[in-house]
Amino acid sequence: MDKKHNFNLQYFLNDASFENWAKDLNKNDVSYWNNWIQNNPEHLETVENAKSIITGINFNQDYPSNSIVEEALSKVLNKINIDIPAPTKSKKVHSLNTVLLTTAAAVLLILIGYSSLTYFTNQSTTIHKTNYGEIIDLKLSDGTSVVLNGNSEISYDKENPRLLNLKGEAYFKVKSIPSTNAKFWVITNDLKVEVLGTQFHVNTRKQKTNVVLDEGSIHLEFKNGEVAKMIPGEMVSFSNESKKLLHKRVDVETPYALWRGGTYAFNEIPLKDVMTNLELTYGIEVQYSANELMKIPISGGIPNQNLKICIAAIEKATGTRIINKGNILRVQENPIY
Amino acid sequence: MELHSDETIWYFFKKGEANGFSLLFKKYYPQLYVYGLKLSNNRNLTEDCLQNFFVQLFEEREKQNEIKNLKAYLFVSFKRRLINQLQKNQKNIPVSEAQLFKSNFTFSPEEISIHQEIQFLCTSTLANLINKLSPRQKEVLYLKYYSGMKSTDIAEVMDMNYQSVLNVLQKALSKLRKASENQQIKNILKKN
Repeated sequence: MDKKHNFNLQYFLNDASFENWAKDLNKNDVSYWNNWIQNNPEHLETVENAKSIITGINFNQDYPSNSIVEEALSKVLNKINIDIPAPTKSKKVHSLNTVLLTTAAAVLLILIGYSSLTYFTNQSTTIHKTNYGEIIDLKLSDGTSVVLNGNSEISYDKENPRLLNLKGEAYFKVKSIPSTNAKFWVITNDLKVEVLGTQFHVNTRKQKTNVVLDEGSIHLEFKNGEVAKMIPGEMVSFSNESKKLLHKRVDVETPYALWRGGTYAFNEIPLKDVMTNLELTYGIEVQYSANELMKIPISGGIPNQNLKICIAAIEKATGTRIINKGNILRVQENPIY
Repeated sequence: MELHSDETIWYFFKKGEANGFSLLFKKYYPQLYVYGLKLSNNRNLTEDCLQNFFVQLFEEREKQNEIKNLKAYLFVSFKRRLINQLQKNQKNIPVSEAQLFKSNFTFSPEEISIHQEIQFLCTSTLANLINKLSPRQKEVLYLKYYSGMKSTDIAEVMDMNYQSVLNVLQKALSKLRKASENQQIKNILKKN
């Protein structure tokens, strides 16, 4: 046992495995600390104190309801000089606040079918929406994993996460439920994807829907009633407007789902747009020493999980120097180039 | 689940976008409201003060320096505003913070969950015991377990160092634990 430690309150409180023991969460941690206490009875009192700080007191929080908060918000908005978005936009504000849950008839939704799904009210709907440059990992209640790319939105009925609407871009790893053969649907403007258990990628940007299948098999049902089957490694592209259907084989490693590993893939995108992405993701501000710098094109993948690595990659790709001072990134010409 | 980090919300708020303002408001109005209510015991005052607080926060957003910890910052500045208001209401009699909040930070039995690590005490007994703690102990307990604040943030809000926050927590909780142990002994004696 390491005797160099000062076994004070702080020592225990800063140890994640101790916290698990106190909350009785992880078998390994529980048996480790039970054992540790037996061997170090002199620290029992500190351990007890640390434990009670972690477990503390359970309060029933009595926070004001949503409607009270909304009312207060509108009062305050009246008092300040702020551009309130047009009605269509204010709906977005609502969904930005995520996860609106209530109870409703879930079963009905399946019967209604996808063409009318755009009309269902938000009352029973869960919405996940991302900003530009933001990526979120979601685990739906049925066990399906969804990675939602920036500026995208999925919505589904709280009771039925296996039927969801997608705007933007997402990667799905659908949990198969063999016992019930429960299917999974993704509905976009252009088509409906029907799935058992599988991994696939859907992109609805640019007025069309691209579906790339990584694993398993899926059926596509188009708005005109046509049906197509997909095999792994295939991409299907369909636009409801042009009614064009395109099948092609893709290298699954390529950018279709590159961002899900935490990489932004850019193809001849001006530096300014790339930096806007960063501004939104990290809440920073970007300044340029000269306007020409904004136009430098970037191609390739930029890791997005860590700002430092991200900046280094952009510097390399553009031949600039980027100085990070506080929350401001300053883009300059690199004297070496 | 939380989709938007404080950094993102603050970024949009500082930009002066209505979205950013609503996000910030919806996330923190409820928490600050209950905190203010616990401090002042006065609904109207808390409501007015909090609404004005958000108005001022918005109007002065560009003056704000970099904020490292949004939650602690909001709690601390709202509390300051509330104290000022309370002192103004006292007219010319100067009052200390301790006096202002002397009788406050009370918890009703309904606010105490029946699921507790500290056993053998009913919610009303536990509420009573908590209400008898010192104002500082109650406020720290509130920030920690009601608002779910990190101990380092509590240190900032309470203007204490981290170690003192731990000491306050430890003292308050051991008082409650002792009461629970006494109750347990009483229970055993009754059975015999």
